[in-house]
Order: sequence, then C-alpha cells, then structure tokens
Amino acid sequence: MLTTDELERYERQIIIEGFGEEGQEKLKRAKVFIAGAGGLGSPVSIYLMAAGVGMIRIVDHDRVELSNLNRQVLHWDEDIGRRKIDSALEKLKRLNQGVKIEAIEETITEANVLQLVADFDLIVDAMDNLPTRYVLNKAALESNIPFFHGAVYGFEGRAMTIIPGQTACLRCVYRGRITPQEKFPVLGVTPAVIGCIQATEVIKYIVGIGELLTNRLLIYDGLNLKFTEFKVKKDPNCEHCSRLASKE
Amino acid sequence: MSIEIDVSLLSHQYTKGQQVVEVNGSTVGQCLDDLVKQFPSIKQGLFDGNGKLHSYIGIYVNGESAYPEVLAKPVKDRDKLHIIFLIGGG
Repeated sequence: MLTTDELERYERQIIIEGFGEEGQEKLKRAKVFIAGAGGLGSPVSIYLMAAGVGMIRIVDHDRVELSNLNRQVLHWDEDIGRRKIDSALEKLKRLNQGVKIEAIEETITEANVLQLVADFDLIVDAMDNLPTRYVLNKAALESNIPFFHGAVYGFEGRAMTIIPGQTACLRCVYRGRITPQEKFPVLGVTPAVIGCIQATEVIKYIVGIGELLTNRLLIYDGLNLKFTEFKVKKDPNCEHCSRLASKE
Repeated sequence: MSIEIDVSLLSHQYTKGQQVVEVNGSTVGQCLDDLVKQFPSIKQGLFDGNGKLHSYIGIYVNGESAYPEVLAKPVKDRDKLHIIFLIGGG
C-alpha cells in the first residue's frame, strides 16, 4: 500500500500507462543488489532510489580518488579518500529516505557472492572488470536471479539483460578474456547512458512492462552517436548456463 | 561478392576514420583477410600471433553472431559484418 506522500512523489511515473499504483507497489517490494558504486553504480543507484525501489544493497571495496570524479557522480571533491560505500550511502539516503539502503565494503569473489546476493530479487552489474562480471553472471544463474549487465570503455557501452534459464547469459556472448586494466579510458557520460539503460531495464522487469533487452546485446557508440543491437542466442556449450541446464 | 564491414568501433585506430569498408569474400575469414589487405595495421587488432581471431572479438553477420565457426561462416553478397570488442569497464 502506498502512502499519500509516495503517491505524490511517484505521481509522474504512476500515471504512465501500464505502470500505475500497482507498478509502484511492485517497485516498493523489490530488493536490488548493485555490484559497484563507481561509474555505472552511481547512475543506477541514483535512479533506482529516485524511482522508489524497496531496498538497495550496494557493494564496493574502493576508496574515492580524484580521478574517479569525472564519472562517479555519487562522489564529490570532499569525499576523496573516503570509502565509496560511505560516500554513496550518505548521498543516496539524502536522495530518498523512503528507500532502505545498505552499503557493504567487500570484494566480490566466488567465495562470497552467493551469500551477498541471497534474498535479492535482481542483480545489477556495475563492476569495472570482466572476471567479477563472470562471477556475478554465474551466481545469478545459480541463484535464479535476473542479471542486468552493463560495461563501458571510452565513448562505448554495452548493455544486456539476462533471465536465468530463459535467455542467453553473459558468458554465451562474452567468451574471451581481457586483461583487467588499472586505468581504462572513459568519458563520464558513457556510464551515465549505460547505467540509465540498466536502471530502465530493472524498473521494467519489476513493474512487468515493455520488452526487455534479452537475447539482444545493445552497443552504444557515443562517438558516432549510434545504438546498434545484435541478436544473441543461448550457447549450448556455454560454460556457465549449459551446465546449469544439465543440473535441472 | 561485395560485403560491408562496419568497423566504426575501430575506425579511429586503424581505418583513418572510415567506418564502413567494402570487402570481397565468401566466408567471414576471407572478408577479414581482404580487410587486412586494405588496412594492414588492423591485423594486430584482430588476430593473435598464430592467426587466430582474438578471443575478445565477436563477429556478427547481419546482426547475428558468427560463433562458433566464425572464420568459416559463409557470407553472401550484400551481407553486413560487424566487429565487436569485449569491454569490461564500469
């Protein structure tokens, strides 16, 4: 049940056709896990807080550095040296006190990921490296939790939504390895674009409207201002989701 | 056979800003060989020292993945190829 304040606060989205109070109530009940409080994690968490999801858990292990500030809009000059989770928690709480938020300082690993995502309805990939994305993809599949992928480099971004057991997973599409770079090039607005796409997908999934970005890889090319979509299929030999299927 | 390869994600690095390159070939591999003939420096961006496509590259034919037999995948006149790189930043 929505309060009078909530009805007013979310009025402009409640009046969207197909959204309604019912959609807002679904958002209010949803628990979202966000992996990373950096370039992608900033817009994702800000817009999910603003939209009124019920609970957010955000996990990060880093401290704020000056070179983060061109894109990680949750963190400001005064936050340099602070733990990102503390900086994020402070801003997000001020944004919307109606959303429960939990910030955990942790490095996501194969050993702790299942425990970290347990009891959450959705997982958002806002990481800055591929190996951890693979860990999250596998955990999402094993825990049967929808997974919302995003990645950026320079002016480029990628986004894809994964529904375990139904759609292609991240590993069906990304088979290779890339050496994690300590410094990768990125313009601040690129994770803003991709993070907003991820947040849009999360909201659509929770509310149950629209067509999800499943079995499709969206590529954003900011330099040429092009969005291109590629069809992707479940790989029968996928080392993550085909094993899962064989367990069923 | 005339095939178009969209190299827009590589254009500033290897093709002097040219975003679409017209190539000839009846397989993806032949098309990439023709691309390398036109822009030799792109070879290092596509292939490893053993001539194998880098594992972080995906090739799409008319918007669909060419995986698993990428280089042997047949193509026909007017097909469009895209070269996609795996990225991991956030």
